[in-house]
Amino acid sequence: MMKFSKIAASVAFLSVGVSAGALHAQTAEVLHWWTSGSEQAALGEIRKAFEAKGGTWVDTPIAGGGNARAAAVNRMLGGDPAAVFQFSIGQQLRELADQGLLANVGDVATAENWDEKLPPLIVKAAKYDGNYIAAPINIHGENWMFYNTAVLEEAGIEVPKTWDDFIAAAEKLKAAGVIPIGLGGQPWQERIMFNSVLLGVAGREFYAELYSTLDDDLLKSETMRKVFETFAALKPFVDEASPGRNWNEATNMVAKGEAAFQFMGDWAKGEIIAAGIEPGTTVGCAFAPAIDTAYIMTVDAFAFSAMDGEEATPAQTLMAQVMLEPDVQIAFNKKKGSIPARLDVPADSFDVCAQTAIKTLQDKKTHLVSTGLFGVPSAVSGAIDDTISNFWNSADMSPEEGQAQFQQAISYAK
Amino acid sequence: MAEPAPDVLQHSEDRKFTLKSGKKRWRPQWSAGMALIPAMTITIVCFYGFIIWTFVISLTRSRLLPVYKFTGFEQYIRLFANERWWTAMQNLAIHGFLFIGGCVVFGYFLAILIDRGVKAEGMFRTLFMLPLSMSFIVTGVIWQWVMNPGLGLQEAVRALGWTGFEFNWIVRPDRSIYTLAIAGIWQQVGLCMALFLAGLRNIDPNIWKASRVDGIPVWRVYLHIITPMMRTVFFTVFILMSAIVMKAFDLVVALTGGGPGFSSDLPARFVVDHILNRQELGLGAAGAFVLLCTVIAVISPYIYFELKKERGGRGH
Repeated sequence: MMKFSKIAASVAFLSVGVSAGALHAQTAEVLHWWTSGSEQAALGEIRKAFEAKGGTWVDTPIAGGGNARAAAVNRMLGGDPAAVFQFSIGQQLRELADQGLLANVGDVATAENWDEKLPPLIVKAAKYDGNYIAAPINIHGENWMFYNTAVLEEAGIEVPKTWDDFIAAAEKLKAAGVIPIGLGGQPWQERIMFNSVLLGVAGREFYAELYSTLDDDLLKSETMRKVFETFAALKPFVDEASPGRNWNEATNMVAKGEAAFQFMGDWAKGEIIAAGIEPGTTVGCAFAPAIDTAYIMTVDAFAFSAMDGEEATPAQTLMAQVMLEPDVQIAFNKKKGSIPARLDVPADSFDVCAQTAIKTLQDKKTHLVSTGLFGVPSAVSGAIDDTISNFWNSADMSPEEGQAQFQQAISYAK
Repeated sequence: MAEPAPDVLQHSEDRKFTLKSGKKRWRPQWSAGMALIPAMTITIVCFYGFIIWTFVISLTRSRLLPVYKFTGFEQYIRLFANERWWTAMQNLAIHGFLFIGGCVVFGYFLAILIDRGVKAEGMFRTLFMLPLSMSFIVTGVIWQWVMNPGLGLQEAVRALGWTGFEFNWIVRPDRSIYTLAIAGIWQQVGLCMALFLAGLRNIDPNIWKASRVDGIPVWRVYLHIITPMMRTVFFTVFILMSAIVMKAFDLVVALTGGGPGFSSDLPARFVVDHILNRQELGLGAAGAFVLLCTVIAVISPYIYFELKKERGGRGH
């Protein structure tokens, strides 16, 4: 009976088109790991829009990205998949698609012309066999530098534009008794800082080529050694209690003026707002020092389980459509602290930092991918985190040794 | 066949008897066997079955999902080339030695102190046992705060005036592994103490009387007479604590998160991290299997030696 009504619904849906989907009661279970306040509020915007169109939202939050991803996969293998689940796009998702576990939402994507509206790198990562298997809903940037304007003014420092300037400024700040870099000493945070240095010293073309080819010659190059030298030069500028610190504690150090800079993704804005500060005022945002402009992107996405075969159910189709609607994109991303995945939505209602990001991304040459979740295979991503963190925390390791270890770990993982 | 010979008769009587008694014995065995089936099935499937499955997976290329494309020992080659794995294994050895050693020494010492008839024995016993009621996660968080150089012990002592005081092991890659042992011993020492105390209370009081008559100093009685008598208790404590060391995962996650870098990583955390977070099922399985082999290699000679000795002892 259930099956029949589902078939009837899809037949009706296919014959009348996308808007007709709204006429049927559509239930979608949504499995995700957004449990914090701002994340819940942001997801609430999608839920509101989905329910306004006649959908029924069944919420399944699971704390922790790793746990949620594992739960989504286990339920799929167990034959009881959640219709819509949060996942990172890229190789892992393609592996699920390989096993026929995913539904594709190609119809909506064609109707809405996602190919044109999303950044090409994201389009590539969200597709399998030419079809969209996930809806990318936002872009977070990872090469941001947040700074406390009052602290910089007091020390008589301009926002540094190159890493040499930064090191000179950091020495001044340290002499003045301020912690120059508020760093949360966890592998992924250290990697975010490293990638900013890599981009800043070697440039965007080098960055893009390095992580897309993982080529040994590039890894062993002179440029790479300079990156490691610059990164090593930053070691004296963090405080002793840094290891193990959470990123939001480090953000608060900058907000309170205990630390001058933090290199972090734009989700730090949420913490700054929570401290009662409008991003771009007391706490400023700028891209990390670099020789050319670029934006290291990381993407949140939702994928769709195969319920009855690889065609998306009406509820899944409706969800995909709602998620990328311009209004929803704006409402969602303002609460999430990210920018819309669609680059064609108006930027003027966003904060200064987000506006800069949206403007920057109009130039496709600035598009880079993070190594955290979707830029590289997860084994490589892990190897990068491990070696960077090991290098950062070993006082007696030379840049050459660090570089050699980095190259070796990547070549074993790829 | 007029009259059967008496011995034949006896024999048949005998047989009848054994049959009967065999039946009698058989019934309780049958129900006991039935009762054991669920436990047996779970043990065989979940324990031995999955050990085999883990080994099979470790021979494949599996990443996010199990796939059965065999690649020989490639995952093991990758594992042994991985610096983080060796750090984790080395840490396991250091942590195991310090943690088990610390628990045995401090646990035994506390038990002796209480056994000497300290006042308010019940209070001390409860006090030492109390940390055991906390999970490793809570223990880890508490000690993370205590040892954090910015807000814990170091800061507190400096605020009292000793500005040169340093206790920053948790943020030092070369020392962070020792903090695990400190927190672990703090938590488990109570259990060891209780076991040792139970052992001490089982010692025949006449031994004490005899040693007093002979005028042997108390410490020598403990060292040369009581301690050898406590062999089985030491054995129990060693096995219990070894199991805790091998499983150690939550403590390191809560206390140091494996850091700084991966300086305080342990194999169990390496395995879980690779299977769940990095989608490296094959590599994680290889790590798990190597860990299992290590455990067997380290523990089994000791168990064999102890059990053999015990059996030999009973024979006397």
